[in-house]
Amino acid sequence: MSEKITFKELVDRIAEETRQSQSSASSFIYELVDLIELELRSGQPVSISGFGKFELRWMNERKGTHPRTGEEITIPGQNKVVFKPFKSLREKVNAPFAHLESELAGDKPKAEKVEVKEVAVAGRHSSADTLEDHIIEREIPSHLKKPTPAPLSPKEEESAHTQKQKTIAGATLSDLEKSPSFVDESSLRNVHERSNFNWSMAAAGVLVMLAFLLFFFISQQQDESEEISLPAERTETPIVNGQEEADEAVVLDLAPTPLPPEPIPQPVQSSSGEISTEEISTLPGESLWFLAERELGNPVLWPAIYYLNRELLDDPNALPLHSAIRIPRFSDNENLSSNERELVALGYFELYQWNLQNTPQEARYFLWVANIFSEELISRSEGQIREEDLAFALNR
Amino acid sequence: MNYKELLDKLSSRTGQSKGDTRKLLKETVSVISSQLAEGEGVSIPGLGTFGTRLTNERKIYNPHFDDYVVVPKKRVVDFSQAADLKEKIRIVEKSDE
Repeated sequence: MSEKITFKELVDRIAEETRQSQSSASSFIYELVDLIELELRSGQPVSISGFGKFELRWMNERKGTHPRTGEEITIPGQNKVVFKPFKSLREKVNAPFAHLESELAGDKPKAEKVEVKEVAVAGRHSSADTLEDHIIEREIPSHLKKPTPAPLSPKEEESAHTQKQKTIAGATLSDLEKSPSFVDESSLRNVHERSNFNWSMAAAGVLVMLAFLLFFFISQQQDESEEISLPAERTETPIVNGQEEADEAVVLDLAPTPLPPEPIPQPVQSSSGEISTEEISTLPGESLWFLAERELGNPVLWPAIYYLNRELLDDPNALPLHSAIRIPRFSDNENLSSNERELVALGYFELYQWNLQNTPQEARYFLWVANIFSEELISRSEGQIREEDLAFALNR
Repeated sequence: MNYKELLDKLSSRTGQSKGDTRKLLKETVSVISSQLAEGEGVSIPGLGTFGTRLTNERKIYNPHFDDYVVVPKKRVVDFSQAADLKEKIRIVEKSDE
């Protein structure tokens, strides 16, 4: 499709532009070509700034057909010169098509794969809880032959609940991490470091708890052995075993159950209407994401902080130094109450609107998360939402 | 070989000052670039032919969005090596220099 210019035209143009003689221009080109060749023959790549890079690429031996006789021949392995244009040249060449942008095709390819991935994330986040339960349930009866004072089923329900909750957190977290504009790298690294730290803390916590429980039960056993006669204890023992087995069965049953890919959060009803806040001062290197991780225990909740401080923050990605930031104090960071969820959703919604103005491409992800945290919010503010974003948030 | 080494070697070969060499090299690059930007080609004997071609619109899977992404058509630089250069570099020892 292209019209080529010849070597002579090239020389003419160069000579004209640089006001040098044609002979010096042409000898320059010859020398340049010679030099590139020499360099390539020694196996070295040649980069020309603002242009591109010439290098050798080894082509493996392959089969081909002879163009004239049509018989199959083997083309031996050989080098080939490849030219890799630098970005400036690529953009220049692609200028007529630069307005075209990549778009999501909209047909999700592997729904099953997604599910598996999210379950895996959930498992990683919540394995501490189930592990803890396991240890406690196994350790207590082996050390002391006594019935556990209260049936464990409510506790398990609770752990199942936190598991669900964490699925959401895990899913959104992984999604947020994927989106580059949400977080800068340093805070992400921070998150990973902190999560490692939390693991060791959790392990220490479990140990302390075990020790405490052991102590507690031993002292209780001593008390009871003084009071209760032997036959009573014997009758109790089989019940213990039965209950223990049943409990374990429930736990085992719970663990492998695949969680729904995106369970709709069940708002935990809480009587407290107001959310208490606390002011802290920002330091260098902190971001909203980082603050949410440190203060709220979950970086995904950062829009709540943004929402409380939206008058102060022009840009959610830039946190002003040494300014007083209001941090919400949630009653339980794992199980947010409905109005706490509402606050987070409002934050995400506020971010949605901010992104509509600044990076409309990204905005819909905020809307989607806002919808996860509070479903009513979207229906309440329909006028302010672009239709395609609404469809995205509801159907993703 | 980087830009500075290239300039040094070129100026010692052509016997011109480094300033002139730089000007010449820049001009060469800009002539070829602007030619390519218009969708036209340049052939340089002993090196190869620069041209452009259009790539088709295509779908790729992007794990970031867990979705297919439609990549629009693009115009890209196309370089094909000259036949004599091809013969010279067909087999080279990488250990030189």
